[in-house]
Amino acid sequence: MEQTAIEMKGVEKKMRQKLIGPINLKLPKGYVIGLIGENGSGKSTLIHMILKIVFPDRGDIAWFGESYPHEIPQQVRRQIGFVSEKSSVEEDNLTAEEAAEFRAEWYPEWDQTYFEELLGKFKVPRNIKLKKMSKGERRKYEISAALAHRPKLLLLDEPSSGLDPFAWKLMIDELREYMESGEATILLSTHIVEEVKRLADYVVLLHHGKLHGMAEKDGLMDNWKELWISGGMDLAEDLPGIIQVQQEFHGVVRMITTECLQAERILHDSGISVLKTRTLELDEILSLWLKGHLPAGMQSGKGD
Amino acid sequence: MWIPIQLNENSAEPLYHQIESQLRSLIISGQIKEGTLLPSIREFAGGLNCSVITVRRVYQDLESEGLLRTKQGTGTFVAKVGDTERETFRREAVEEALRSAVDVGMSVKYEEEELKRLFLAILHKKYHPEEKEGES
Repeated sequence: MEQTAIEMKGVEKKMRQKLIGPINLKLPKGYVIGLIGENGSGKSTLIHMILKIVFPDRGDIAWFGESYPHEIPQQVRRQIGFVSEKSSVEEDNLTAEEAAEFRAEWYPEWDQTYFEELLGKFKVPRNIKLKKMSKGERRKYEISAALAHRPKLLLLDEPSSGLDPFAWKLMIDELREYMESGEATILLSTHIVEEVKRLADYVVLLHHGKLHGMAEKDGLMDNWKELWISGGMDLAEDLPGIIQVQQEFHGVVRMITTECLQAERILHDSGISVLKTRTLELDEILSLWLKGHLPAGMQSGKGD
Repeated sequence: MWIPIQLNENSAEPLYHQIESQLRSLIISGQIKEGTLLPSIREFAGGLNCSVITVRRVYQDLESEGLLRTKQGTGTFVAKVGDTERETFRREAVEEALRSAVDVGMSVKYEEEELKRLFLAILHKKYHPEEKEGES
């Protein structure tokens, strides 16, 4: 049985303009989970609830199998790393080194050598106050500092915003390296589909505060395909997961299925030949998923 | 160790299956030697932009086939491939290629005899390339 880093059950939070939830979600330990959603879909609120910066109105959250009705105990909170969407003002007047001293006191696992190594790789400027740094430089500091205490759970709220492509690539490599042990879990909210493609094992989709579910990334890539088949429109009636079908020209029909593996098997068994197959790009998959076409056999998370 | 695996995203074949069959042939054909330490699951997955779930499945499948073995704390190694396995693999690879060549022949309505003659002619040319001049 797989271990769970975070489990949310029936979690709801009324925000100013909308209701976030109910959210039922299990984040499996040892994986990178990409959190996707449009602006204002509730990604940051979800992350804030895991940190108890925001308290849910309803529902339960468990951290590494334990739930805490009041505050998260310090020894548990210290195992969580966080890169916030907006950098905290508390560290504004400190340099990277000074801020690290404070963090090292709070996190017993703080690894100064690792921190220095990351600052070096990311070329974070020394001896200047964090607020004087460019957005990208500050971001690189935040990522280094979040990794330096080797958290068991790393919550990253749009970590790559402001990073140049070289720093972005380096961040991807460092996050993979950090995942090597198999003990760590990352929840990563992002707008950048390529980031999910490179890093994520699972994808979670949020839309207007509602969870559209969690799916295995490779399962999506294997199953969401566009097929060109010789035959007529009626072919689609016997195939699973068809969400679009169109007669391309005489004798050729084009369709999009969310269950390609099964559709292929049926076509093969009935001796119908597939002329061409195309895997949808991850962003195409996500936008179809947003429109309400759900991946087959996923953790639905609607929880009624 | 870097493993030369080429994924075709537009194929209808699932990712794990593509990785598994390519890795299997690299091992059985001896291109990856016995005792080679394979990349960690996360590293391998990173190189292919696929998830660790997929790579773990490949390692587990090949381990149960006896092609890989995992030492706790050290990693996953290529196991010894038996001579019978290597023989079977060689034969199956050639058989499969021949079968699809015959399929092409049949699809353009070649007669059995006609196909046989063509096959023997090609076979001869390939094995005795030096004779190709004086023939006609």
